[in-house]
Amino acid sequence: MGLFSYNIEKYSPKQLVIIPTILLVISLVVIAFVTVTIGMPVKPGIDFSGGTAVTVITPDSPDQIRAVFADYPLVSISEGLNNGKFITFGAMDDAKYQSLTALISGKYPDARIDQVGESFGKTLQDQAFIAIILAFIGMAIVVFISFRTFIPSVAVVLSAFADMVMTAAMMNIVGIPLSLGTTAALLMLIGYSVDSDILLTTRVLKRQGKLNDKLAGAFHTGIIMTTTTLAAISVLFIVSWLGQIQIVMEIAAVLLIGLVFDIMNTWLTNVGILKWYVLKGGGK
Amino acid sequence: MVCPERRRKMKKERIKDIFKDWRVLTLIVLLILSVVAINPHFDDKGNFTTNLQYGLDLQQGAWLQLEFQAEVVGFTTTQPLDTFVSDLSKSLDTEVIVVDENHLEIRKYYTQEQLEPYFKAAGGEIVSYQQGVSKDTASTVKLILEQKINSMGTKDAKVNTLTGMNNVARYVRVEMAGVDMNQAQQIVGKQGKFEIRVQTTGNQTEHVLYGDSITSVQTPSKDTSGNWGVGFTLSDAGAAAFRESAIKYGATVDPEHHQLAMILDNKTVYSAPLSSGLASSLVSEPTRNMVASTGTGTYGMQQATTLEIHLRAGALPVDVKVAGSGSTSASLGSHYMTMCVIAGILALITVAFVIFYRYREPRIVLPMVLINASEILILLGFCSAIKFQMDLPTIAGLIAVLGTGIDQLVILTDEILHEGIVPSPNVYLKRLARALVIIVTAAATVLIAMLPLALMDLSTLKGFAIITMMGVLVGVIITRPAYGKIIMEILSE
Repeated sequence: MGLFSYNIEKYSPKQLVIIPTILLVISLVVIAFVTVTIGMPVKPGIDFSGGTAVTVITPDSPDQIRAVFADYPLVSISEGLNNGKFITFGAMDDAKYQSLTALISGKYPDARIDQVGESFGKTLQDQAFIAIILAFIGMAIVVFISFRTFIPSVAVVLSAFADMVMTAAMMNIVGIPLSLGTTAALLMLIGYSVDSDILLTTRVLKRQGKLNDKLAGAFHTGIIMTTTTLAAISVLFIVSWLGQIQIVMEIAAVLLIGLVFDIMNTWLTNVGILKWYVLKGGGK
Repeated sequence: MVCPERRRKMKKERIKDIFKDWRVLTLIVLLILSVVAINPHFDDKGNFTTNLQYGLDLQQGAWLQLEFQAEVVGFTTTQPLDTFVSDLSKSLDTEVIVVDENHLEIRKYYTQEQLEPYFKAAGGEIVSYQQGVSKDTASTVKLILEQKINSMGTKDAKVNTLTGMNNVARYVRVEMAGVDMNQAQQIVGKQGKFEIRVQTTGNQTEHVLYGDSITSVQTPSKDTSGNWGVGFTLSDAGAAAFRESAIKYGATVDPEHHQLAMILDNKTVYSAPLSSGLASSLVSEPTRNMVASTGTGTYGMQQATTLEIHLRAGALPVDVKVAGSGSTSASLGSHYMTMCVIAGILALITVAFVIFYRYREPRIVLPMVLINASEILILLGFCSAIKFQMDLPTIAGLIAVLGTGIDQLVILTDEILHEGIVPSPNVYLKRLARALVIIVTAAATVLIAMLPLALMDLSTLKGFAIITMMGVLVGVIITRPAYGKIIMEILSE
């Protein structure tokens, strides 16, 4: 692959892990800060905090829309291409919500409405949290069972952990809320991120040959895997952005961020730890 | 040296060999079955259509998730069960139903803290508390809602109760195609509560029964004298309660002054005295079948029709609150659909380009892309076969599957074509096995990661998780082994 060359041979384990370590620390600080401020590691979207989202294709300007919904707790309006608008509202009671939907039916009959009540949002949030934790533990168990050696398994699990933490931090920075869709994306990321880690670890630990050759071979295969996935997800992102499909766009954005971090965490973090482990005599 | 003619013959045989391999045959059979399941065809109007089912975000429709304002409470008591329950029912001012020997269903919303003093006063203690209703009540609500939506003429509706652990259902979800949010709310969002009360003295009334004692409601009919009416049937308990109240409050003796009123949402929708025939028969035994007469002519018929809806619609035994809802208009639905198809096809083409850039070998790229596409086709076939409703997260899941699928094919190809040299069959099989170990491990992690989502009722994410898991399984069990065989035959000449 001639896109760029990366010579793992050149760097010592310490050099390899320095950048990801710094980024991981920054990410943890960002997440800690957000958690202290709002009580959750990532700002929740309406799926979890409760509220109403309206997607509509209209030439009306944001100010006009604000005027239409003056009586309702409007939170934000974001604009896409082709006149697409994504309008969010805060929580309201059943009667208020019913009058809002009546207004929307009359004014914007082609709208899409998503609404989640506060207590239901809380239930979803708790379940999503459990789902992520369980998924992560499950992944770790599979990794430990398949490699049966401590440090390489820890390296894989740590890389996946770093992927998620960095992605979550980035979501806060670029303003992608944690919703049902992005929760799914984070879970998907667990799967994607261990893909290349498992390839790397298997090649290094279970093959004959020189360490540097094996690393180079694994990198060769791994980077093409991630770039094809990146390509497919980029298309998904661009199309959903153009077409203003909010939920798909958020899923794609999180996957994109996560895959970029995955490249780093696989080929710096995981490689670094694995190299150190092999050089000090582990894995024969 | 092999002469060209012989080479061609060999190649032909090799291709024949591919189609004799069981892995490849399974793939082909599945592909055919998938196409049959999807069944692309033109409908009566000449429009292209398939058997695929779409969720409410890809077609016009609305869904509402309603939360039961009730709770199921585990309890212990030193009192006899009957006394305990009736005491509680009185003090809490609502129906209290015995679910099983340790659980009560309280049909009004109270927090655990609010309930505790009442339980103590009645001589009991709360052991567990969960908002929701018992499985039985949930299925009654489901039936009532279904009946009600059908009577409104909504063509395509689904009602599901979401039963969690301990058999307590907290939510009921209603999905209706072809309506907007406002219509959906009018149909189900606001639930009436139906009650029959008997007049005691003056304007005073006493409770007789709630709508859940009505087991069935007939369509309006006219009797021989031209009187319209709606027949309905009471449960045994309801019939007994009806008889008891009628006798107790004098409705059987003096029907005119002790009329029976039907109340929907605290509004009297119907009030009439017992007929003399019914009054005298009630004295001797309870009656389950009754007719509410509404008068003669067009007016009587109209009244009967309204009353029928009231009788049906009002029969929800528990209050509900909208917990979540959503709707998509027809135009946005078809816009999303177009976008998804474009995204899917573009993603496949992009993947093909990246793969081509890497391998520069059509004989590898073509099978790879075809295998990738066939995974998607099989998944779509699977969706059609089980009538799975595809929604936006499901489609995102499909495209994610496309991404992981190609990853694994790259691993396979690279393992086999180590340093560009095609190995001998023995070495080949060893390498294929090695590659499969990596693939199976990676697949196992995705399966495990998605399992919690597939088991939970996290609304739309269930579909995403199921599709992703199916995609992984189809890939590991069927398409990737077939790809291994195909690529071997194609390259080993």
